Amino acid sequence: MTIELILDGKRTALEILPGQNLLQALRGASRFSVKLGCETGDCGSCTVLLDGEPVNSCVVAAARAAGRSVTTLEGLLGDPLMQRLQRELVDKGAVQCGYCSPGMLISLYALLKQDEAPTDRDVREALSGNLCRCTGYVKPVEAALAVAATLGGAS
Amino acid sequence: MWDLKEYRYASSPEDAVALLRKGPGRGMFIAGGTDLLLFPPACDFVVDVSRAGIDRLAATPDGDLFLGAAATLHTLTTDPLVTGFAGGAVSHAAAHCGNRPVRSTATLGGNLCNALPSADMAPVLIALDATCYIADVDNQESIPLVDFFTGPRRTVLGDRLLVGVALPAEAGRRVCRSRKLTRSAEDISLVQVAVALGMEGGRLDQVRIALGAVAPVPLRAGLAETALTDLDYHSDCTAAVADAAEIAAGECDPISDHRASAEYRRDMVRVLTGRLIAECLDDLRRGGNGGAA
Ligand SMILES: Cc1cc2nc3c(=O)[nH]c(=O)nc-3n(C[C@H](O)[C@H](O)[C@H](O)COP(=O)(O)OP(=O)(O)OC[C@H]3O[C@@H](n4cnc5c(N)ncnc54)[C@H](O)[C@@H]3O)c2cc1C
Ligand code: FES
Ligand code: FES
Repeated sequence: MTIELILDGKRTALEILPGQNLLQALRGASRFSVKLGCETGDCGSCTVLLDGEPVNSCVVAAARAAGRSVTTLEGLLGDPLMQRLQRELVDKGAVQCGYCSPGMLISLYALLKQDEAPTDRDVREALSGNLCRCTGYVKPVEAALAVAATLGGAS
Repeated sequence: MWDLKEYRYASSPEDAVALLRKGPGRGMFIAGGTDLLLFPPACDFVVDVSRAGIDRLAATPDGDLFLGAAATLHTLTTDPLVTGFAGGAVSHAAAHCGNRPVRSTATLGGNLCNALPSADMAPVLIALDATCYIADVDNQESIPLVDFFTGPRRTVLGDRLLVGVALPAEAGRRVCRSRKLTRSAEDISLVQVAVALGMEGGRLDQVRIALGAVAPVPLRAGLAETALTDLDYHSDCTAAVADAAEIAAGECDPISDHRASAEYRRDMVRVLTGRLIAECLDDLRRGGNGGAA
């Protein structure tokens, strides 16, 4: 079947299978920032935005995206907020092997778009779906709070 | 990959039921898909109900709260209609399901219709006297949520659609708390307890104790409820609470599995029920809904 969606800001037609998950469909469309980790909704390495909300694309049917907007990291590379998050994650040492990074970036981006002054707890809640085997989470949280501090909201 | 032949989109509840019955082969409804994609069942086609207009939350002028079946768990955690009802007890339960990105798509209806004995939204809604609205092609039926479940993964639905659940205004004034016990934050529940207490002239009234994951279906601990009814909550209730908790533990029927033994689950029903009643009593004495705990 063919679905039409707004993929990374562009109207796009995607050829998908009815039972396919969104993760596979996006990788099929060369969105390789969308990582395959657990494929059970637990690890968050496949996180993308569906109509602006973070979702685990491995437990979303590709067909569900018809008529909606899907945003991956590839679509946000020129976005100033995303660029600040990327810079800060690197500077704070919150990127080690990097496998979780695209998913974390999407989760943090979604949080900061909706709330410019998140608390430590809000950041941890936003990252509740992102497993990281390397950093121990402290540095990603620090990085997110550091970016938030530059957005005008104190935390 | 899930071997589906067709993915259909329903535009209304009636359309959803008609599309499901049209065949050919076996069809299923899909809402968020977080259960279905995890464990794809053998079926030929699915009918997407996320565009069928059943995702609304609404309050009636009398204060009853309607939660559409396709409302996401994230919406339930954030919408003021829900956070303001019974001290936010439903929001609290929703916030403790899965993780943030799962809650963006996981729906209330999917949680209930999947009908796992451990479905996290069932106990709190049962404690608040939820009624289910079920659509057929040409009529709607409503039944108490507590009668909706008929066994593990089985409900009264057949090939009908859950449209949503309604909570009566009176339940919104109860103090209500729910808690689940898990081995790790993201594991499925070993035990869930929800307690809701109403009051009438200084005494407990409309006592509800709902248990999940400790029987084939979520249930009410009716005997424990009766034991607390009419209790003067300004008196020392310690013994009455301990009794009620003990009675509730006797009313469940848990299994032993690799997660926990039946004895442990039963004892945790006693512990959690006792704690939640005591916390609800504190809320009442402080004159209101303590809400999320
Ligand atoms: C990582 C992860 C963590 C999870 N954590 C939890 C947790 O902590 N607690 C918990 O309870 N669950 C949890 N779940 C399970 C699941 O996310 C929830 O049960 C969710 O609410 C299911 O909703 P859905 O819309 O995704 O269901 P779907 O997968 O779309 O559907 C589930 C079932 O319900 C049926 N259905 C859906 N809507 C309707 C309707 N309106 N009428 C009739 N039938 C319908 C479908 O046919 C299907 O059989 C988790 C899942 C994942 C992937
Ligand atoms: S691959 Fe989707 S959550 Fe792990
Ligand atoms: S940096 Fe390696 S998993 Fe997070």
